[in-house]
Amino acid sequence: MKQRKNSRYKISTTVLFLFPSLLVLCLFVFYPIIDAFRLSLFEWNNPARDPVFVGMENYKNLFMDDRFLNSLKVTLTYTVGVTFISIILGLIIANLLNNKNLPFRNFFRGLFFLPTVTPTVVAAMVWIIIFNPTYGFVNILLRNVMDMPPNWFSDPHWALPTIMLLGIWRRVGFTIIIYLAALQNIPNDYYEISKMDGANAFQSFLYVTIPQMIPTTLMLITLGFIDSFLVFDQVLITTRGGPSSTTEVVSLFLYTDAFTLFKMGKGAAISVIIFVIILVITLIQWRLVGFGSYEDIS
Amino acid sequence: MFKHMSKTLLNKVFLLLIILPMVFLMVMPYMWMITASLKERGHVSEPPYLVPNTFDFSNYSKAWNGAPFGKYFSNTLFVAVVVVVSRIFFGALAAYVFAFIDFKGRDIVYFVYLSTMMIPFYAIVIPLYLLVNDFNWLNSYQALIFPRIVDAFAIMILRQAFISIPREYIDAASIDGSSHWYILWKIVFPMCLPSVITSAVFSFLFIWNDFFWPFLVANDTNLRVIQTGLQAFTGRYLTEWTYWMAGTVIASLPPVLLFIFAQKYYISGLSRTGLK
Repeated sequence: MKQRKNSRYKISTTVLFLFPSLLVLCLFVFYPIIDAFRLSLFEWNNPARDPVFVGMENYKNLFMDDRFLNSLKVTLTYTVGVTFISIILGLIIANLLNNKNLPFRNFFRGLFFLPTVTPTVVAAMVWIIIFNPTYGFVNILLRNVMDMPPNWFSDPHWALPTIMLLGIWRRVGFTIIIYLAALQNIPNDYYEISKMDGANAFQSFLYVTIPQMIPTTLMLITLGFIDSFLVFDQVLITTRGGPSSTTEVVSLFLYTDAFTLFKMGKGAAISVIIFVIILVITLIQWRLVGFGSYEDIS
Repeated sequence: MFKHMSKTLLNKVFLLLIILPMVFLMVMPYMWMITASLKERGHVSEPPYLVPNTFDFSNYSKAWNGAPFGKYFSNTLFVAVVVVVSRIFFGALAAYVFAFIDFKGRDIVYFVYLSTMMIPFYAIVIPLYLLVNDFNWLNSYQALIFPRIVDAFAIMILRQAFISIPREYIDAASIDGSSHWYILWKIVFPMCLPSVITSAVFSFLFIWNDFFWPFLVANDTNLRVIQTGLQAFTGRYLTEWTYWMAGTVIASLPPVLLFIFAQKYYISGLSRTGLK
């Protein structure tokens, strides 16, 4: 009797406690993701009309659309560049900050992290002005050493690297923090042994630190890919995809087609493609470092 | 002894020489931003660039009055407070179930919750926009708040904290006849305050720095939040860079101050972003 009462009570608590969060997730995450798949099979270019079923047509058109393929290429360039450069810089800086001889270590660590908590809109506005070809601080400095410094955001060759620089500036603090946590876990004996073997500081970095950082690095690569692949704010504010689509990342392409041209079906197909790409990266991450296993490393 | 000391000193100077240029590159945009925000209007491209020598605070009052920054601030604060409190409230309820109540299929349900973290916002934004439109929520606080009030990351952080509590505490309270509601809020929750703060800090920074969703659903002047307000500001004061920089300094202060004071909590949360 008591047993039954207990288990009924248990069920109602479970239901009551989970109900609000499950409702919100179903309504605002699971329903939309399913609806994105459904909508991607329709052509819907006019809000006043009903969507027309077209099957895989949207996908077919996308993969024959040079602008879309270009946006994937731009996004991939951005992603690979920002991820790897911030990993390399993060590894170097984390090792410097980990050196007990360095004064003001915590203060420096905080400074490196500041850009990560700075809003992207703010960072983008600062970038616009610092990289202004005529009045910007960067070109004021560069004019001392060259006659014609680049036009940065309006130069097709420099626009993307300038945005990538912003991405790296905001990302490197994250990689530093993660590497610093991982560095604490290398047993000191390893360094003692390599010292006894006659290794200098650089050699022990190369042969002790680097191999120990491999799991963390793999994790940072996948996390960096996921984070950078979804870049949007800074591109919208600095270049809006220009000049001549050289900075048109895939999220901006989605925004333009779905929300300014109202091609909702096409937009949904782009959504699904983004979803699949991120899913594949996430699955690779789980294969490499396990499901949410960062706690094991830190 | 002396030789040893001078060697460490040399080492220190050497390390500082390597790291200072990198620190400078990271900090330079802030120095420039603050200096520019204190210059007289139209003098942005004149020296000094990185250390202010004039202190013209009028840019701040002009920027503050030139756009309804007060309104942007209170809008963002309102949304942030509601979102932070609900994420912790609903998150704690769910985390309690996943930590302490056994039922068949619990791990699957938890996995389903966590799986929402790997769904990128751009994958759901179109149907979400249409849904919010169907609810007649465009240009309303509802659109800014309701889709955000549950966050799997907060649930994950809270559950990790909850399961570290010794089981005896829970069992003892159960035997005393305390309800789950009582155990959660009077025993478990107060023991996990650091994790509560961590998830509050994350949620606050997320809302404060959020741009794309408010830009889509609430771009009405009265409903703009701080980031969309700033973006609109750049359109209105095209080359008034001293005002721009005053605006960016104002908008950066809350997250930067929060980071400085809650660094410990923020960083402990970051090291758990394995899934994000």
